[in-house]
Amino acid sequence: MRTRSGVLRGVVLLAVLLVSILVAAAVGSVAISPVNVGRMLLSRILGFDSIERTWTAAEELIVMQVRLPRVLLAAVIGGGLSAAGVLFQGILRNPLADPYIIGVSSGASLGAAAALLFFIPAGLGWYGTLPLYAFAGAVGATFIVYRVGLMHGRLHPTNLILAGVAVGALFTAMVSFMMVFKIQNLQDVYMWLMGSLSGRGWRQLGAAAPYVLAGSAVAVLFAPKLDVYLLGEETAHSLGIDVQRLQKQVLAIGALIAAACVAVSGVIGFVGLMVPHAVRIWIGPKHTRLTVYAFLAGAIFLVVADTLARTVFSPIELPVGIVTAMTGGPFFIYLMRRS
Amino acid sequence: MHEGRLIEFDRVSFAYSSEPVLEDLAFGLYPGQFVGIVGPNGAGKSTVLKLMNRLLAPSKGEVRIAGRSVSEYSLKELARLIAFVPQEPEYFPFTVRELVTLGRSPYRSGYGSVSPRDAEIVEEAMREAGVVEFADRPVDQLSGGERQRVTVARALAQKTPILLLDEPTNHLDIEHQLHICRLLQAKANAGMTCVAVLHDLNLVASYCHEVLVLDLGRLVAHGAPGGVLTPELVQEVYHVHIPDIRHPVTGRPVIAP
Repeated sequence: MRTRSGVLRGVVLLAVLLVSILVAAAVGSVAISPVNVGRMLLSRILGFDSIERTWTAAEELIVMQVRLPRVLLAAVIGGGLSAAGVLFQGILRNPLADPYIIGVSSGASLGAAAALLFFIPAGLGWYGTLPLYAFAGAVGATFIVYRVGLMHGRLHPTNLILAGVAVGALFTAMVSFMMVFKIQNLQDVYMWLMGSLSGRGWRQLGAAAPYVLAGSAVAVLFAPKLDVYLLGEETAHSLGIDVQRLQKQVLAIGALIAAACVAVSGVIGFVGLMVPHAVRIWIGPKHTRLTVYAFLAGAIFLVVADTLARTVFSPIELPVGIVTAMTGGPFFIYLMRRS
Repeated sequence: MHEGRLIEFDRVSFAYSSEPVLEDLAFGLYPGQFVGIVGPNGAGKSTVLKLMNRLLAPSKGEVRIAGRSVSEYSLKELARLIAFVPQEPEYFPFTVRELVTLGRSPYRSGYGSVSPRDAEIVEEAMREAGVVEFADRPVDQLSGGERQRVTVARALAQKTPILLLDEPTNHLDIEHQLHICRLLQAKANAGMTCVAVLHDLNLVASYCHEVLVLDLGRLVAHGAPGGVLTPELVQEVYHVHIPDIRHPVTGRPVIAP
């Protein structure tokens, strides 16, 4: 019975995600009916002549080239950050862990800030090699934190968290330091640090999606082991799990997903911390369900948040990180008080 | 090796970096025994258990299970031979049944639903440990004694010939202490080998078939509790004087000041 209601909830989440993608792609300065967006997509999938064209070429251009890739990217990033959050909270056995806890965000920020301030000519930043710099920074920082957290060949979650905080503080200070000396590109850096999907398209989606989707799929495969790991390292060992190997594998997958997200979107906070929590309160701690549902719920959340970010104060766009924190914070407090 | 020994310590020493914990331990345990490990704080009791299931590796000597060095087993094989109840188990809001079902994981290859046979074993383990009546409640809502029994049920669900328990009666009231000890005695009588670190010498005297006494990392006595737990030994190991009293019904030693 539990399983059946579990699957039903999954189907509901998936349906909500699809509807929110259609609606999000329809909403904007040029309003297009969500039905037409659906028909547009169907005509692309089934072939161009199968569905009567009830929309204009301009509408199709807006949806297919501007809105849809951004909405899909929001779904991928929201899902990826949430799946990574499940991995980090599980493997560090710490409810305050988020995908950025072991240095991913500060490393990516350092890479991106260095790129924006020194390497990339003003204005070309978003479309060029910025994600590569950010990705390199994220992976580099994670590696440093990992080495610092490793003692006598063993990883200790507490050491890892402390190392993440220390490296994070150092890198954040370096970003601020660079910003003081190079003020001409400050706005770009600032937007990036707040996390934004503004101007992102198919290219960014193509860059991030393979890592995020493959990583999240592998995360689901690790779920049964993470369930056993929740019982403590000694118990997990006595149930046949190589604890050291599991920790390294899960951290690597989580860091890869988070780095891919951060590289294209900047530091979108709160999703990877809050969504896993909320979903855990809803369906319990078993990781198979938790990972899948958190991915779907995170995708929905960021699609909605990004749509609000680009429409509420139109033509001004808010960094989506502001929206996630402003809407997610109160909701999270409500959930905590209620449970 | 000695014929028939299920667990064998062959001159085992263990040290944390340069701090010696156990020195030159040699003993063998046979199947179907409930063995108590006793000794003062810091004597190395938990370390002995952790060497048995390879949570720790000896710095000298060899630990053998069923004639083979523990280092030669894969972790999965070991998990099908030895179940472990740690001193401070961690709990997440799994339901009791979900948690006990995790005891079947050494037999399951990652995915797939719980087989009817697994479900049957889980029910049996929950019945034996006396946790059936709250099978569907989240573990974090249970009392300390109930949780401890859930952990024992999880270990029983592993269906191993050997069960190790690190202070399983800690924090339990007398009813639950006796329940656990009777359960272990019954499992041992049915052929399982149960090895438990225990602090209460009277529980050991009443229920264990054998007792290992450790002091300062050395094995100072090994045998039936009736012959081992004498006033002389208690004086030597714990530095307290007790009179020589026997239980009027069972004739086993009673440790009382």
